[in-house]
Amino acid sequence: MIESLMVELQRLSDEQKWPPVRRITIKVGAMRQVIPEAMLFAFEVASKDSFLEGAELELVETPIMARCRRCGFQWGGEEGLVCPDCGSANVGLLSGMELEIDSVEVEELNVKEN
Amino acid sequence: MSRKISVRQSVMAADERHAAAIRESLRAKKVLMVNLIGSPGAGKTTLLEATLKKISTACGVIEGDVATSRDAERIAKTGTPAIQINTHGGCHLEAHLLQKALREFSVDDLDILFIENVGNLVCPAEFDLGEDFKVAVCSVPEGADKPLKYPHLFYEAGAVVLTKIDMVDYMEFDREGFWSDVTKLNPMATNFEVDSRNGIGIDGWIEVLERWLMEKQQ
Repeated sequence: MIESLMVELQRLSDEQKWPPVRRITIKVGAMRQVIPEAMLFAFEVASKDSFLEGAELELVETPIMARCRRCGFQWGGEEGLVCPDCGSANVGLLSGMELEIDSVEVEELNVKEN
Repeated sequence: MSRKISVRQSVMAADERHAAAIRESLRAKKVLMVNLIGSPGAGKTTLLEATLKKISTACGVIEGDVATSRDAERIAKTGTPAIQINTHGGCHLEAHLLQKALREFSVDDLDILFIENVGNLVCPAEFDLGEDFKVAVCSVPEGADKPLKYPHLFYEAGAVVLTKIDMVDYMEFDREGFWSDVTKLNPMATNFEVDSRNGIGIDGWIEVLERWLMEKQQ
C-alpha cells in the first residue's frame, strides 16, 4: 500500500509541481485491515532518500457507518450490517472502506508578485 | 508557512487502474471472473478440482502462490487450462501481476476465469483484481471465528463457501454462530457448505456460478 501511495504522490507532485511536502493525511476506513504502526514504519523506510523524506504521514481512521436502503436508518456498522430498525439486508456503507489520500501539506514558497 | 492541498483520491489508484482495465476487457469478452480467497489449507484448490470435474462451461484457472507451481499442476490434471503466478514472497495477487499473466493466457474461449489467490485472509481482500465476485473459502478445522476476525473479506464476498463440512462432527465448530456472523457482515452473500473430496454440495455452488455467468452474458 505504501508503494502505491508513493507512486500516486510522485505522479501528483510531478503533475502539479508541488513544493516540498511536510505532511500527508490519509483516511483509513475501520473495515480496512490496516495496522497503523506497520504503515507508518513502511512509510518511514520507503520515503527515505525520496522526495518525501522527512514528511509526516498522518492516518485518520473513519468509523464504519451503515445506512438502510429500505427505511433510511443509520447506525455504526460495527454491530453488523442487517438494519437494526427494520431488519432489511439491503444496506449500504456510508463510510468505513476508505483508503484515500485526503490532503497534503506543502511548504509555502514566497512568491513575490511583480 | 505551509499550505494544504486537497487530494481526495485512492491510495491504490495506480493498481485500481490495472483492475479497471482487466474488468473492462473481461466485460467485452463476457468472461466471468471469480477471485477465490481463503487461508492456506482452506481447500481452495480442492474446491476448484471438484468444481472443474462437474461444471460444463469452459473454465480457466490462474493460480497465485508465493512459490512452486504445484496448484497449477493439480488443476491441469483436470484438463482445465491453468497457469501459475509466483509472487516470490508477496502475500496476495495484485492487478498488475494478473494483467501481465493475462497476456500469456488466452481467455477468449473461456466462460469462467477462476483466480485462486495466495492463501491469506487479510491482504487479498484489500486488492481489487478486476473480478466480478470475490468468494470467501473457509474450512471447518480453521474454527468458526474467522468472519468477525477478518470482516473485510466476508463483507465483500459474493459467496461464502464453508469447506470440509464432513469434519463438523469431529470438531468443536459453532456452525450456527459461523453463519450468523457471516450474515451480520454480509446479508446478501450466497452461502454453501461443501465436502469437496466427496463432491457434496458442489452442485449448488456450480448453479450459482452458472447464474452469475448468465447474468454477465445477458
